[in-house]
Amino acid sequence: MSTTSETLAAPRRGRKRIDGWRWAGRIFLVLMLVYTAAPMAWMLLTSIKSGFAAMQFPPQWWPEEPTLASYAKLLDPQNSVGADFLRFFWNSLFVSTMTTILAVIVAVPAAYAFSRFSFPGRKFLFFAVLLRNMFPAVIFLVPLFILMRVLGLVNTHGSLILTYLTFGLPLAIWLLKGFYDNIPVQLEQAARIDGATRFQAFLLIVMPLSVPGIIATAIYSFIAAWNEYIYAYTFLSKNDQLTLPVGIQRFFSENTTDFPGLMAASFLMSVPVVLLFLVLQRYFVRALTEGAVKH
Amino acid sequence: MTIATGRAQPSRQTRSAEPGALRQIWQHRIDYAYVLPSIVVMLIVIAYPIYYTIDLSFFKTPPSLQLRDKIFVGMENYGAILQSDVFWRVTWNTVVWTVASTIIAFILGFGAALALHRDFIGRGVLRAVLIVPWVISAVAASYIWKWIYHSDFGVIGAVMVELGLADRPPNFIDNVNTVLPALIVVNIWREFPFAMIMMMAGLQTVPDQLLRAAKVDGANAWQRFWHVTFPHLSNVSTVTILLLAVANFNSFIIPWIMTGGGPSNASHIWITHIYELAFGRQRWGVASAYSVLLFIILMTLGYFYVRALGGNESKDRGT
Repeated sequence: MSTTSETLAAPRRGRKRIDGWRWAGRIFLVLMLVYTAAPMAWMLLTSIKSGFAAMQFPPQWWPEEPTLASYAKLLDPQNSVGADFLRFFWNSLFVSTMTTILAVIVAVPAAYAFSRFSFPGRKFLFFAVLLRNMFPAVIFLVPLFILMRVLGLVNTHGSLILTYLTFGLPLAIWLLKGFYDNIPVQLEQAARIDGATRFQAFLLIVMPLSVPGIIATAIYSFIAAWNEYIYAYTFLSKNDQLTLPVGIQRFFSENTTDFPGLMAASFLMSVPVVLLFLVLQRYFVRALTEGAVKH
Repeated sequence: MTIATGRAQPSRQTRSAEPGALRQIWQHRIDYAYVLPSIVVMLIVIAYPIYYTIDLSFFKTPPSLQLRDKIFVGMENYGAILQSDVFWRVTWNTVVWTVASTIIAFILGFGAALALHRDFIGRGVLRAVLIVPWVISAVAASYIWKWIYHSDFGVIGAVMVELGLADRPPNFIDNVNTVLPALIVVNIWREFPFAMIMMMAGLQTVPDQLLRAAKVDGANAWQRFWHVTFPHLSNVSTVTILLLAVANFNSFIIPWIMTGGGPSNASHIWITHIYELAFGRQRWGVASAYSVLLFIILMTLGYFYVRALGGNESKDRGT
């Protein structure tokens, strides 16, 4: 769109009008940038203030004596706050990684089958998968809580990994199916003519091609699990098992004045997912939009 | 043969008689092997809970959740919901929350997508920054905004005082009148990037030739947008709005962490209310009845969602 409008010699009046739209776009983008970035900037600025400096009115717009004390405290395993924080961090990492691995292992063959095979009930099952994305965790919470109690999984990470599959799996199947749909069927047909079995064609031809899709799906599952709050909040009560979102809440609800600490913890909690996302956003965005944008 | 297109399949299925259907299932047994693990997982963590919720909604269950002592009460839980004042308050909040968040997030996201569609220096960086709120945890977002809204040290209040708009920092989230809009601002902050991503992807599919042709015909920028670009995006817009509406309807973290539904239920929406009924007040039966109603509403929305996507799929298969 941009290149073509430049190359076409537009009449004078037309060009002026286009400029008007361009300026409107720029102003809009600046406003959106302020709306988006200012809260994050304020989080960072607060996190490098002392507790005393944060509680001033009018506020110090720019920290007069910036300090990394909050970060040092959170990352110091000798300190009780730091020990807790690091344990929550590892718990989150463990639960999210396990969820991601399980979701991908189970979803890959299913997504492939939904994309390629035609078996009775295929449509119904796929729509059931799609529909799951519409239901909130709360609907499942009471029965799953009872189920976890029966299985003896309350207060274990197993309960989280199992329940995180309620959203991780449908998400993974949906995203992966979009990827398989875009890999030409002819590639497998060629392999089968050369004597490969259907499973070999899947394993040797389709799997390598779908690596970007699998990475994107894994990231999506990981981020969703990392940010999950309500199951962890309900199923876990022992301090040494909490994941970050719940853990942060626990120790700052006792100490509501430590806003620099809270902001530093919020920042540290966001770093892994934002980094993952920024590095691989190209795959990620493609996977997300693939299914919906086709026409 | 085994790698099927799936096009002819539904009609064949409806035509076949019972024994034929069974034979078909048997013939496709290897196909099912691929899907079986996911079906097993979904039965455990999705189908069973849905069944159990419906079941529980007809019972009075003791606070301890000792299921041996539950008493069948028929539709009493449903009656209790419809008769309570809180129900209507919370329903109104949910409507305001869902509609306002969805529409504004969509407009902002669409606007940003349009503005970012043109190539310029720094576009990639800007896009990445605009997406970040959607990636970070809603818990972190809630704390950041709670601090921004803080009644004594909040930065918005401070700016308002500096500019002379207020004598003292207003208390946004402890005020019945401002709490819901204040939370909606936070929610939109987190959600507009999703609309932006979807609409950016949609914009890339608008054919250049059409825009060029419209330009040659003398259409100005607005006419080109309204008559060419926008109709072309109707599909992706529908899906985006539906997904946003469902996500907003199902929000939990932001209202729960920022206000817990308060003050005096002013920021309770259905989901947070259900959670409080179940795990706060141990009224498991009523909470389950709420969940069933929610389920019905979402199934209705889901019908439209599947139709929007399903239309996609059949057209896609047809080409």
